[in-house]
Amino acid sequence: MTLLLRRVRPEQVRELTLVFILVAVVAFFATQIPNYLAWQTFTDISTGLAIIAVAAVGQTLVVLTRNIDLSIGSVVGLVAYFVGTLLAGTPGMPAPAAFGIAIAMGGALGAVNGVIVAFGRVPAVVATLGTLAIYRVALVELSGAKTVTTDSLPAWLLNLPRMSVVSLGQLDVRPLVLLALAVVIVFQLVLSYLPYGRRLFAIGSNPDAARVAGLPVERDVFVAFLLSGALAGLAGFLFLVRFGNITVVAGQGLELQVVAAVVVGGVNIFGGSGSIVGALAGATLINVLQQSLIRWPAVSAFAQDAILGLLILLAVASDKVILGRLRTIWVQARRRDEERAAATAAEQATHGA
Amino acid sequence: MALQAGEIHALLGENGAGKSTLIKIMTGVVQPDGGDVFVDGRQVRVGSALEAQALGIAAVYQEPMIFPDLSVAENIFISHRDRGRIVDRGAMRRDAEAVLDRLGVRLDVGEPARGLTVAAQQTVEIAKALSLRVRVLIMDEPTASLSAHEVRRLFGIVKALRGEGVAILFISHRMEDVFQIADRVTVLRDGRWISTRPRSEVTPASAIRDMVGRTMGDFFRRTPTRPGDVVLEVRGLAREGVFAGVSFTLRAGEVLGLAGLVGARRTDVGLALFGIAPADAGEVLVDSRPVTIRSPQDALRVGIAYTTEDRRQLGLVFPLSIAANVTLPTLRRYLSRFGLVRRAAEDAVAQGFKERLSIRAPSVRTAAGSLSGGNQQKVVLSKWLNTRPRVFILDEPTRGLDVGAKAEVHQIIDELAHDGIAVILISSELPEVLAMSDRILVMREGRQMAVFDSAEATQERVLATAMGQLATPAVVV
Amino acid sequence: MARDIFRRLVRWEGLLLAILAVIVVVTGIAVPGYLNPQNQINLLELSIEKAIVVLAMTFVIVSGEIDLSIASVMGLSAVLVAWLKEQGVPVEVGIIAALLVGALCGLFNGYWVAVIGLPSLAVTLAGLIGYRGAALLLVGDRSIGGFPEWFNRLGQQPLLGPFPLALMVFAVLLVGATVLLQFSGFGRYAYVVGSSPEVARFSGVRVRRVKLAVFAMSGVVSAFAGVLLLARLGAVRGSTAEGFELDIITMVLLGGVSIFGGSGTMAGVILSILVVLNLRNGLALANATGNTQAGVIGALLILSVLVPNLVAAARSRLGRGGSAEAAVIPKLSDL
Repeated sequence: MTLLLRRVRPEQVRELTLVFILVAVVAFFATQIPNYLAWQTFTDISTGLAIIAVAAVGQTLVVLTRNIDLSIGSVVGLVAYFVGTLLAGTPGMPAPAAFGIAIAMGGALGAVNGVIVAFGRVPAVVATLGTLAIYRVALVELSGAKTVTTDSLPAWLLNLPRMSVVSLGQLDVRPLVLLALAVVIVFQLVLSYLPYGRRLFAIGSNPDAARVAGLPVERDVFVAFLLSGALAGLAGFLFLVRFGNITVVAGQGLELQVVAAVVVGGVNIFGGSGSIVGALAGATLINVLQQSLIRWPAVSAFAQDAILGLLILLAVASDKVILGRLRTIWVQARRRDEERAAATAAEQATHGA
Repeated sequence: MALQAGEIHALLGENGAGKSTLIKIMTGVVQPDGGDVFVDGRQVRVGSALEAQALGIAAVYQEPMIFPDLSVAENIFISHRDRGRIVDRGAMRRDAEAVLDRLGVRLDVGEPARGLTVAAQQTVEIAKALSLRVRVLIMDEPTASLSAHEVRRLFGIVKALRGEGVAILFISHRMEDVFQIADRVTVLRDGRWISTRPRSEVTPASAIRDMVGRTMGDFFRRTPTRPGDVVLEVRGLAREGVFAGVSFTLRAGEVLGLAGLVGARRTDVGLALFGIAPADAGEVLVDSRPVTIRSPQDALRVGIAYTTEDRRQLGLVFPLSIAANVTLPTLRRYLSRFGLVRRAAEDAVAQGFKERLSIRAPSVRTAAGSLSGGNQQKVVLSKWLNTRPRVFILDEPTRGLDVGAKAEVHQIIDELAHDGIAVILISSELPEVLAMSDRILVMREGRQMAVFDSAEATQERVLATAMGQLATPAVVV
Repeated sequence: MARDIFRRLVRWEGLLLAILAVIVVVTGIAVPGYLNPQNQINLLELSIEKAIVVLAMTFVIVSGEIDLSIASVMGLSAVLVAWLKEQGVPVEVGIIAALLVGALCGLFNGYWVAVIGLPSLAVTLAGLIGYRGAALLLVGDRSIGGFPEWFNRLGQQPLLGPFPLALMVFAVLLVGATVLLQFSGFGRYAYVVGSSPEVARFSGVRVRRVKLAVFAMSGVVSAFAGVLLLARLGAVRGSTAEGFELDIITMVLLGGVSIFGGSGTMAGVILSILVVLNLRNGLALANATGNTQAGVIGALLILSVLVPNLVAAARSRLGRGGSAEAAVIPKLSDL
């Protein structure tokens, strides 16, 4: 056991466990629900997942720096509504423009959060709880309580979810899914290969050391919130595409699911560690659970939230207890290795001398 | 003093000699009131940590400031801005290994820094400084937490740095380290420069003499007390990896001074006796009855009180009034039947202490944070005196206090002894320990070295024991 | 420093008082009959359950933690009473059960925070979702009504003179909470734990117990408020009390209670409740929707933390500059 622990880092163990749980859950439901392992299920799940996944990517960036963004639900709703209204009003608007506007708008909303948190030094919980309400108000005011309806939207938008980019037999890969996948890959690369991404880890890992080392902490946190907003804006666009009908309560409560996905996916709520892929795995697990529970008559569909809450608690608790324990064992094992190596080196030195 | 390129310059001095302040000035944390700083002959003003970095001045402290979640290589290069747009993992690994190679060290640069020993983390910080083209590297007590083998390795690294033309300011209390590695030795005392000599002209004895050179007459003299029965007995107290083999007896009215240098782990003994960081081996007997102390409540119940060395962080609740601070550990005594605080009783108690200890404050309702250091310390003492302790552990009670306040605290300690309280005085100020203690227990790196009677203790002897210099330590229990 | 705090409080509460006066005067002029006592009571009634939870939440935040699950516990307790009624359990028993469940929820939260040491943000976020989920499990997407007449009467009709039960309960709890926080030993412990958990520990304070108690209190009070809400509304859905936490946290923070714990007074919180309630009422009368009100409250929340920060930053820049870095440098070995 210790041998294994020596080779594999605790964080990797965490991610592997997550994948294992995911496989176990799918296997379980496959036995309970007829036709579960059909490509149709995959399509259903993945299209719903796309929205959460994109937002979870943004949330990961913020949480890595030891902050949180509770306003994304309102951002998603606001952007979905705004872009929907825009498209309804200007039928000739090209798709890329609408796409760009969604992202830009989300980015602006995220930037406001960034200013308040990074430069105003307001704790992220307070700041984003406030903007959650303010953005929702903006949505209500903007809409005049009207709804964006599908018949006002351009055809290309409505067809988007049903289009298939690739069709392999029964498997339909939707553009939304590809887009979400692209986002995940891009940001995983950002976190791995861009200095900015690495700095995010540093800031969450040891904020004091980050300042002492001269890292531009305020600027980096600001950008993290901006990106989180921009990705929420993108998620808003996807939301519009998926649902078409946007009411004033669009996106309400989304932030909870996204934070849950991120936490379950192994991103440390204290920052400093985690990965986009992990967040995706967390989002997938949650989505799979939710979709499966709907299809499973044995349990009420309303059990979702209760299970979700339990999942988050388990994830955070196990991270502290098990991961903490694993880390201690791992650190001790490595130190014992070092000491042993040192002792042999010392012996050789005295023998050689 | 001056630092030359390619030299290892040791800085010696007791606690309070001014070494830390000097470092803070050099690294841009504080600004000097007078005097000048020159780098390469040019006068500079080190206004901030970034400016120090730009000047090539870096410091490595006892507690390394690393990022536990990042790899070793990333820890070294995280603050570099000139490594291009894309993080090249391979190049980073190679460059990290190259830097470490210059230091004569091999580490797994891909491993997260969390997994490293303290020694390795230190090495990483040194490598970081080297990669930023350090000219002056300040090392503050670098060997305090290292094993013998690790110290050897560190010296290899330091010598390699010297070979690269870096000026190293090496602050340490360990004589054997200093004499193994230093080229020149500077001694500070009471905030003044005393001497700078090449190593060949210095002996441990002469260095200690420079460090200590104070007459004993300046200090408060204890009035003699007759010690009562044995109140506290400690046998073989140990906490794995921290301290071991601590044994002593303590009588009522006696003052036992706990002397030693940084890293001696005296505070840890205090924390163990007070239940904050309980020991895992050994026995503690109060009034000849064995007790287990696993929490501050346990300690208070058997009559052990402890004032922390960090008054600001751990001693007082600053926004709270003097009275509220004084009654905090004993609040239950001042609650009415319904659990409400009996303010009048609380104020009366606080007022009593205010008068007895001459605490200077507008009233007992004043916030503790607004008092001067000396008066704050008196509030801390009052707080614990109010618990009516049998054993009172004072950890650096006069740290940061001026002469007048110190004298007042000493007087209080004297009265405590007269009142029959057994006192353990942890202090890094030798004259204080010598003047106040009936007996002195010297610790070094977690081990008990010797127990002296006050009659046979001199500053040189105690300091030498604390530094491990005494060939045959007199173990008198 | 007490003088600074005193000054700050006087300023903060003075500010609140001034804002309250402005709101009341402006609305009083703009809306005829606003200052009519009966009208005031009616308007106060609408948010009285939130105000009750604010009292408990103050303890949580003063002790340095946060509880995001309060609204879900309110909803759960209301749903529980309704569901038990459907199972044939008398409402009186159901209420007791709800209070017990509330206490359990609070203790559950407190266990993970105080004993295991998890961050309260994460734990109570899980609670927010989980307890709401539990409520949904019981009630689905239905609405349950049809409560006994005495129950509805207590919730909707005035009990003593013009005052409904909820208002009277609030008044009593207000006095109790003030005494508990400002005058009792427990309140003292809460401040100390929030101000400096380490000093508390070193002074022999049982930090764990204090935190457990604070969370348990939050749970019970939330459950109680949920029952009162149920009585007033006469019916409950799965989404009852959703989103209440925003208002509740705002009222506490706006009252001068620092999010970091260790400071704030009940007086400030009371003023802040009045400010927020009057603001909501005024906005409602000006035909602003519930959402607009929430937006204004949200802005208030941010400002309540932002403004003091900016003031402090400006002051330090005008005063001494350059020692800001000192806080970040690691502890050096000696003085």
